[in-house]
Amino acid sequence: MATVYAVEKEPCYKDGRGSAETEQRTAMARRLPHVVGLTKMCRNRKISFKSLDPPSSLTHGIHVFYCPDAVGIVAKLSDCIASRGGNILAADVFVPENKQVFYSRSDFVFDPVKWPRVQMEEDFLKLSQTFNAIRSVVRVPALDPKYKIAVLASKQDHCLVDLLHGWQDGRLPVDITCVISNHYRGSNTHVIRFLERHGIPYHYLCTTKENKREGEMLQLVQNTDFLVLARYMQILSGNFLRSYGNDIINIHHGLLPSFKGGNPSKQAFEAGVKLIGATSHFVTEELDAGPIIEQMIERVSHRDNLQSFVQKSENLEKQCLSKAIRSYCELRVLPYEEKKTVVF
Amino acid sequence: MGIVRKLCSTWNNLKVVKLSNRNCYSYNKSVDPLNPSCSNSLLTHGIHVFQCPDTVGIVAKLSDCIASRGGNILSADVFVPQDKQVFYSRNVFVFDPVMWPRMQMEEDFLRISKTFNAMRSVIRVPELDPKYKIAIIASKQDHCLIDLLHGWKDGRLSVDITCVISNHYRGPENEVIRFLEMHGVPYHYLRITAENKREEEILELVQNTDFLVLARYLRILSSTFLRSYGKDIINIHHGLLPSFKGMNSSKQEVDAGVKLIGATSHLVTEGFDAGPIIEQMVERVSHRDDLQSFVQKSENLEKQCLSSAIRSYCELRVLPYEENKTVVF
Repeated sequence: MATVYAVEKEPCYKDGRGSAETEQRTAMARRLPHVVGLTKMCRNRKISFKSLDPPSSLTHGIHVFYCPDAVGIVAKLSDCIASRGGNILAADVFVPENKQVFYSRSDFVFDPVKWPRVQMEEDFLKLSQTFNAIRSVVRVPALDPKYKIAVLASKQDHCLVDLLHGWQDGRLPVDITCVISNHYRGSNTHVIRFLERHGIPYHYLCTTKENKREGEMLQLVQNTDFLVLARYMQILSGNFLRSYGNDIINIHHGLLPSFKGGNPSKQAFEAGVKLIGATSHFVTEELDAGPIIEQMIERVSHRDNLQSFVQKSENLEKQCLSKAIRSYCELRVLPYEEKKTVVF
Repeated sequence: MGIVRKLCSTWNNLKVVKLSNRNCYSYNKSVDPLNPSCSNSLLTHGIHVFQCPDTVGIVAKLSDCIASRGGNILSADVFVPQDKQVFYSRNVFVFDPVMWPRMQMEEDFLRISKTFNAMRSVIRVPELDPKYKIAIIASKQDHCLIDLLHGWKDGRLSVDITCVISNHYRGPENEVIRFLEMHGVPYHYLRITAENKREEEILELVQNTDFLVLARYLRILSSTFLRSYGKDIINIHHGLLPSFKGMNSSKQEVDAGVKLIGATSHLVTEGFDAGPIIEQMVERVSHRDDLQSFVQKSENLEKQCLSSAIRSYCELRVLPYEENKTVVF
């Protein structure tokens, strides 16, 4: 099943990387690579931290946990964090009414000297084994590499452009490895020039019904953590989904489950609705039917024509997609039952 | 496009002309604070909606008509769609019924409506004209019905409820029954089956109403009924149309894992759950909601959405737009 919306990839903090980057704290990058020689790094980082971070080099950590319900999970989790000097800043716990399943997300600060990253991984692993967890993920945004994503788009580029700008401004904490599109863009287009300026490859794959070129796509995206379909209009086959194996986030213009398929704006306009919306969701084999992450709406009235419908729609799509990606990167999105999500 | 009236069209001119019983002294006496010198000025609100083929000069003529009779426009909405030659307006004005008698007002606007070949020209003076008479039709679920009844009792819903009709039996101890008895509103239980929809009886019961409200009435009214009744019928649908047509929306929504739920109020036409939408409302839901809270939030929305639609309708804010839509000022 392609519904693996977990970010289970281990942050690869195995070897120390070049430290040149570690000193830089550009506006757009919390690109601190996983460096294991922590003593040196801590001292350095102390100098280079922005004022938002407390001087005692405390770092944020996020832990999500999903296991069969039992008494004592919260106690054990919080004790683990406390025993290592971690201070929980926010926590969400959710146990559905009639189901024996437990979800939690903890946001804490810790001193990486007192609680090294590798140790943290071990500690939580032990807990996950204790409780037979279905999912236990730790993420330290300041240390772990950013999520690598590829963005797929078709002709319409409002979402793509919005993502690129968000990425450039540091609002989208990901690494964009490439942009793939079934629509040709000349060297003069805003998108192409932007990508060139930032050294991101653009792959134009002309797809036809007979040749979807999914093999090539898989090649191009094999090193990504998840994919973003930014109004990508081709359907990805079940084969592709299974082969890729990681999560794929899609933006649908319309409030699912209504208005599946093409041109929801026109459908909504003709139906005389008073509210329009957008939906971001995970991609599964069924078209426009995967678990919903976020939905947003806006009012429309008789004063709107098709053009303003479309404009409001595009606005919503941008916001909805960005929000979904951000929630996903912050480990707020968890699978719930068969077709739903918990979003903390 | 001419006058848009389908066979089952439920749009009707709600002009109320029978004013002979009413004399000018029975309305609320409100002194206009802006015009204190008119100590006898008993300014009254009037609403006029107008729909006609578009042309130059309509607003000028309408506003001049009002001004010439001493009326003062307090708010106006004008709407001309981009590529269509149709004009909509709604004016709210205050006037002195002595200077501008109700009958005269009727004549004046009639003349203008003829000038512009209007599809619709309706005046309403809420303080003088009789309240709209409505019948409410409900089934087993009564959250909307009860909300309407309370709104009516509290004066928030300014209609006259002639009767409540239901295909669900309610005993004398039932809250609804006791309320209706207390207020002298008849309750008609009509046991309806697939073979016998008893629509003639319903038609009999509602013949003297201005419009109907389906407050979660779960039976489908036939096109024959719609044609025979001829007037507007407002329905509340739990769910955001056009999605989730039909029954059991809350469960569908829970299963689909949506993050927003909604309600839709609309006018009833032959297509099931497909008539022109008047109002839609939403509320957020999350993983923390179970079926029960979904249903509760839904019911809340339905009550608000239905009340809002009825109120807009009574204030002449709702106008037909194209085939299946509405202008709501």
